[in-house]
Amino acid sequence: MIDRFNIKERFIHWMVAICFIYAALSGLAMWSRHLFWIATVLGGGETVRALHPWGGIIFALALGFMFRNWASQMKLDSDDKVWLKMSHRYAMNDEAGVPPSGKYNAGQKMLFWMQSAFTLLLFLSGMILWFPEIMPRTLRLGAVLVHPLAAIGSIGGIILHIYMSAFAVPGSLRAMTRGFVTPGWAKAHHRKWFQQTTKIEDERAR
Amino acid sequence: MQTVAKLIDTSLCIGCKACEVACQEWNDQEFTLGTFGGTYQTKPELEHNFWNLIKFNEYETDGQLSWLMMKYQCMHCQDAGCMKACPAPGAIVRLDNGTVDFNHDNCIGCGYCITGCPFDVPRLSPTTKKVYKCTLCSDRTAVGLEPACIKTCPTNCLTFGTRTDLLRKAEDRAVELQADGSTHAGVYNPQGVGGTNVIYVLKDASNPESYGLPKDPTIPWTVSLWKGPVKLLGSVIFLGGILGTFFHYIRFGPKLEEEHPDD
Repeated sequence: MIDRFNIKERFIHWMVAICFIYAALSGLAMWSRHLFWIATVLGGGETVRALHPWGGIIFALALGFMFRNWASQMKLDSDDKVWLKMSHRYAMNDEAGVPPSGKYNAGQKMLFWMQSAFTLLLFLSGMILWFPEIMPRTLRLGAVLVHPLAAIGSIGGIILHIYMSAFAVPGSLRAMTRGFVTPGWAKAHHRKWFQQTTKIEDERAR
Repeated sequence: MQTVAKLIDTSLCIGCKACEVACQEWNDQEFTLGTFGGTYQTKPELEHNFWNLIKFNEYETDGQLSWLMMKYQCMHCQDAGCMKACPAPGAIVRLDNGTVDFNHDNCIGCGYCITGCPFDVPRLSPTTKKVYKCTLCSDRTAVGLEPACIKTCPTNCLTFGTRTDLLRKAEDRAVELQADGSTHAGVYNPQGVGGTNVIYVLKDASNPESYGLPKDPTIPWTVSLWKGPVKLLGSVIFLGGILGTFFHYIRFGPKLEEEHPDD
């Protein structure tokens, strides 16, 4: 077994995930009258209106920690740029010509940057929407567009993220729950990272 | 049921503020002291417990000062921005008689209606965290009474009736004012919001801004975009994402370790 995510990384990830799910569900409840039943499930419209901003703030804070922890590992290298051009092949499970990845593949890196940007937008526009009676009208008129658009992008990204980790790449979920992956998994999906970690272990063994 | 309306003939308003008092009395609102802005105006703006404000606009043309008194309140738009923006089912309703009314049991206090309103009318109460505005005295009109402000107006500046009747009356009055020398007199019933159930006769309809009324109010375009195409985009991405990933699994299946090349 190879260690992939330590306890700190797993803790931050699940803090982000839990807050995201609450913020997304309570947000969807206030997004359309057809989804208002979600508010009923979560304790009623007034509760959702009162707690959604707090859920969002904790989410943004947790994502801030995540950003600080991972940003340095998420820079795209030259292989990643080729990977992005070949991503349709990756998606079709026909990986000939798709360059090997490091600890994170280019798709994961892009998700990281996109979610970080969307969260910043959600946070800023959310602070404006929180206080309609105080915030200037022009800012609110912008925020009513920015907030849902960033949320659509963010939820869309997370649908893909959940699919990839829980269904499309077996063995991934355990990396985030228990923290480790099998050598076979690492070799197949993150070859450069596999070579790096096993080399370090070899050197240690020597 | 016929749509009811309120006609405000600004040329007859003497600024007595009886309508303000009647509104507070009938709706059982506590009067709270506010900011003194150096004019005769009771308050600078509407408040969550103050739904009817006479604005004392001081307007200067060619060195001559006109004192344009204007009853400021919810316009009860035919195409209401507050209703468009509201996410809570049944919180903002249109009554059979055309009145836009807030149902506070269903209001969640998000304040989106404040942003959706082209006239900046709804106000959030800091204590109840719900939004309030003129109800056109729906509790009076329901039993055949006229709104409290109209009942009390001493100069017949305010009239209550069916919208069709009042629009005709307003046009007649505008013609009268024109014959009287106010060449620009006209009716304020802005079409950008489908017309309003609060109709004004203005002595100078070419310049409603001098009364503090927007020239061509519409539901803000960002609100229309948000509640229209953006909503559609969201549905496409959410449903497309879920169905797309599902069918991706059906077609391509999971990535298995042993399928990787050159192992």
